[in-house]
Amino acid sequence: MTDDRTDGRIDSPGEPVGRVLGTADATPLQFWTAVSPGSYLQLDDVVVTRRDLPDREPVTIAGVVTQVRARHEGAQFESDVFAIADGTLPAQVQEAAEITTTRVDPELYVPPAPGATVHRAEGDARARALHFDRMERRIPMGMGRDGVPVYLNADFLDGSRGAHVSISGISGVATKTSFATFLLYSVFRSGVLGGDAVNAKALIFNVKGEDLLFLDHPNARLDDTTRAAYAKLGLAAGAFPDVRVYAPPRVGDASGTPDVSSRLTGVDAFYWTLSEFCADRLLPYVFADADDERQQYTMVVHSVTAHLARYAQPADGGVSVDGVRLGSYADLVDHVVEQLNDDETRGDWAGSAVGLGTVNAFARRLIGSKKDLGRLIRGDLATRRPHSINTAESAQVTVVDLHNLPDRAQRFVVGVTLRGEFERKEKAGTAKPLLFVVLDELNKYAPREGSSPIKEVLLDIAERGRSLGVILVGAQQTASEVERRIVTNSAIRVVGRLDPAEASRPEYGFLPPAQRQRALLAKPGTMFVNQPDIPVPLCLEFPFPAWATRVSEAGRAPSETLRSITGSIDPFAVVGSGGVDDDIPF
Amino acid sequence: MTGPQLFVDAWDPSYGASFEATPGGPVAPSSTQVDTDVELPAVDWRAIGPRAGVAAPHVVLLVDGVRRIDASVWTAEEDGASYPGIAASYAAGVVRCDLERGAAELAGARVGRGLFTASPSAQEVTCGQVRYPVHRVGGSGELSKLPAAVQAPLTALEVAVSDAARTDGDLLVVDGPLRARRQLPRTLGYIKTQHSQYLDARLTAVVTGLGSGQRSPVFRLGTAWGGWSWYLRLPVAVGAPWAGIVRLECSPDLEPQDAIALADLSLVTLPRFASSPYKDPRAPQNLVPIAGLERRLRGMLGDARLLHRALTMASRSGGIR
Repeated sequence: MTDDRTDGRIDSPGEPVGRVLGTADATPLQFWTAVSPGSYLQLDDVVVTRRDLPDREPVTIAGVVTQVRARHEGAQFESDVFAIADGTLPAQVQEAAEITTTRVDPELYVPPAPGATVHRAEGDARARALHFDRMERRIPMGMGRDGVPVYLNADFLDGSRGAHVSISGISGVATKTSFATFLLYSVFRSGVLGGDAVNAKALIFNVKGEDLLFLDHPNARLDDTTRAAYAKLGLAAGAFPDVRVYAPPRVGDASGTPDVSSRLTGVDAFYWTLSEFCADRLLPYVFADADDERQQYTMVVHSVTAHLARYAQPADGGVSVDGVRLGSYADLVDHVVEQLNDDETRGDWAGSAVGLGTVNAFARRLIGSKKDLGRLIRGDLATRRPHSINTAESAQVTVVDLHNLPDRAQRFVVGVTLRGEFERKEKAGTAKPLLFVVLDELNKYAPREGSSPIKEVLLDIAERGRSLGVILVGAQQTASEVERRIVTNSAIRVVGRLDPAEASRPEYGFLPPAQRQRALLAKPGTMFVNQPDIPVPLCLEFPFPAWATRVSEAGRAPSETLRSITGSIDPFAVVGSGGVDDDIPF
Repeated sequence: MTGPQLFVDAWDPSYGASFEATPGGPVAPSSTQVDTDVELPAVDWRAIGPRAGVAAPHVVLLVDGVRRIDASVWTAEEDGASYPGIAASYAAGVVRCDLERGAAELAGARVGRGLFTASPSAQEVTCGQVRYPVHRVGGSGELSKLPAAVQAPLTALEVAVSDAARTDGDLLVVDGPLRARRQLPRTLGYIKTQHSQYLDARLTAVVTGLGSGQRSPVFRLGTAWGGWSWYLRLPVAVGAPWAGIVRLECSPDLEPQDAIALADLSLVTLPRFASSPYKDPRAPQNLVPIAGLERRLRGMLGDARLLHRALTMASRSGGIR
C-alpha cells in the first residue's frame, strides 16, 4: 500500500515526515497526518503523498498544512499530564497535521490510504503542489512560511483570465498599501509582463499621510538581508524608477503650488479649470449620492450639468455663463444658486417640473461644496499650464495625493480621475498597455449601500476593466462594506490582519477556519493571498519596501524629480492650445 | 491439513469466565507456614516507616500483562466429539519510569495470540495478518479451565520483555506474585488483591493498622512459590482496614538483610506511583504506570470486535484449518 519508493510522479518528494492517519477520516480534499517522531510540520508547510490504484497510474495528492495539533496519547484525564511529566505515567506525545489538498494528479479524487507515507514537498514537488508549474507567468509575491518564494499567476492579474485585487485588513497593521505597492513593483520589475511592462502604468491614490509620495526615493534603511530577500524573489531592490507625484493646490494660494509638506521637489499640482468642469460634466461628482433614486435633487444635478455643458463658454481661464464671467468655483456656485432662486430662470436651469424644495436641497448641497472644492476647480490659473492627471502622458507610476483633501474633494478627485482614465482606455479599445489603479479605503468610494457616480465608475472598472486593461487594486479595512460586485469581480483576494468581528463575515469565506483565526494575529508584512488557481490561500511574507515610505527613510532624491514644474511644459507648445483646437494663435 | 471444523461462538466472549480479580480483603485464612520473626520478633511487630537515607532508584521498571478472549470456539472432531476452545490475545509490556529525567516510556511490549483447546487435532487459525497458533491444553479442557491456561505463555512473555529492558541499579516491579520470575535480580512481586490471610489475628491487626506509607516487618512464606514478603499501605484516604494495602514479595534466595533492604526501597518508591480513586476504579493499588501500560497493551491487542469478526469469517471460509 505504501512505500518510499520514488518513481514516476514523485521524483525526490522530500523527506518523509509522517503517515496518513487512520483514526480520522481521510478524504480526497482533507486528511490528517500523524507526524513521525523527530519530524515536525508547521502551518503552511507543503506535503505530498501517493495513492496506488489497481490498473492505474498512482495518484499524487499534495496539500498544505492548515492545522497542527499535539496531544498525549495514553492520558485520560487532564491531570494525567502531571503524572506524565513526573515520569510515572507512560504516554506518547503525538503530533498530527491537517492537510488541505491543493492538487490531485491525475484528477482522481480518491482519499489517501491511511498509513501512506507523507513527504515534505520540496523543489519541483512543492511547485507542483502549489500549481506554480502550471503558471506560465509567475509574479513573485513574497516568501512562504518555509522561506521559499510563492507566486501569483499573472494571468489572473493582467486580465488574461481574471483581474483585480482586493486587499482587506486593519488599518496600520495589515500593511495593505505596502503590499499593493510591492505587488506593483514585482509586476513592473520581475519581467513577467515582458515588453508590456515598459508601457504599463500605475495610478496610485495616496489617502493617508505622505506615505506614497516617496516611491522614487531609495529606502535609506535598506540592508543586505532585505536585498537578499529581493534577490531570492528575482527582483532587484530599489525604488520605483519613474514616478510622478500630483498634489492638490494649497488652500488660498493664488499661484497653485502643490500642498505637500515633506516632499519638496518633483510634485505637480493638479486641478480642473472651470471650463473643463462645465464641458466635461463633472458636476455630478461633487455629490456623493447624485445617482441615488431616492434623492429627488439628482434630477436638478443632471439638468444643471447639461445646462453648464451647453452654455458655459471658456473665458480667459474661467467661464462665461449667460454673459457673466465666472472666475472661481465659488462664483460659479453663487451664480447657479442665484439663477435657480430666480423664478424666471429656474425653469431653464432645473427644468419645469421641479419643486422649490428640491431646488433648495440641491442649492444647499452645492453651497456646501464650495469650501471643499474651491481649490480644485480653478478659474484663476493659466489654462496652458499642465494640471490634469493623465497616466498615458505621465510617468510609469502616477501618485495622486489626496490626504490633505476633505472627504467630498477626495471623492471628486477619485471619481473624475478614474472616469477620465477609463474613458481614455475605452476610446483606445485595447487592453494594452495595462493600467493598475491602487485605491485605498474602497469602502468610501464604493460602499455596499446606495449608488453614486463614483461607485458607477468603480463598478465599470470592476466589471469591464479586465477587457480594457484597467486593473483595480482596491484596499479596504472591511470587505463587507464594499460593493459586493467589486469584491466578487476580484480574482485575487488578499487579507492581512483582520478585525475579529470582520473575520467571521462571509466575504472571507475563502479562508479556512484555521487561517481565519491566524489572520487575527497576522503581523505586519504577513498576508494571505487567495488566487483562483490554488484552492487554499497562501500565507506569505513580503519583504520590507526597498523604497522610502516616509520622509525619514528617504534616500537621495532621484535627479529627475529636481526639475521644476516648468520643466515639464513644452516651451514650443502653442499658447492656449489646451482643449480648444480651433483657436487661432495670435 | 484437514483439522476439525471450528465454530465461533456468537456470544461475546466476555460473558465467559472473568479474568479480573475481585478486590477486597483476604477471605480465607491460609494454612501456610509463616515465619514472622525475620525482621522483628513477632511480639514486637509494629508499623515501619521509611528508613532515613534510603532513596528511590532512578529507574523503576514495571511489568504487566493483559489478556483477552477474542472468541470462544467449538471444534467438531471427526469422531463426533466436540471440544471447547478460546482464541485469546495477550500482551506483556514494561514501562521504564526514569524518575530523574521525569519520563515514563514503554520500554518494550510484545503481543501473543493463541488458540487454547484440548482438541487433539486443532490447527492454527489464520485470519488476515493475525495468527492464532495452537496451545494444546491437557486434561479434559473444560471451558472454565481454559482462561487459566493463558497465564503461562503470558508470564513467559512478561519475563522476556522485562529481561530486555533491564539496566544496572534499577528496580523491577512485577504485577502479581513472582512465581517463576524469582531469579530476576532486584525484582519485587506486587500483589494488589489479598485472597489469603497469612498472618494470625494479632499480626493482622498490625497490618490493618498501618498508616499511609508504612509497611509491616518482613516475614517469610513457607509455600512452594513462597519467599520474603511484607505488606505496605499506599497513600489512601481513611477507609476500610484493607484499603490501600498491597503485599510485596521478593526472591526467597535472597539473604534476609537484602530482603529488608528491598522492603525499605519499596516503601520510598511505590507510594508515588499510587493512583487516585477518581481516575482508577482499582485505586490506589493499581499503580499509575501499570494503568497506563495496560491501556497501551489493550490497544496493542487490537480491536476485539474486529478480531471476533475476522475469526468468524475465517471459520466460515475455512481459514481455520
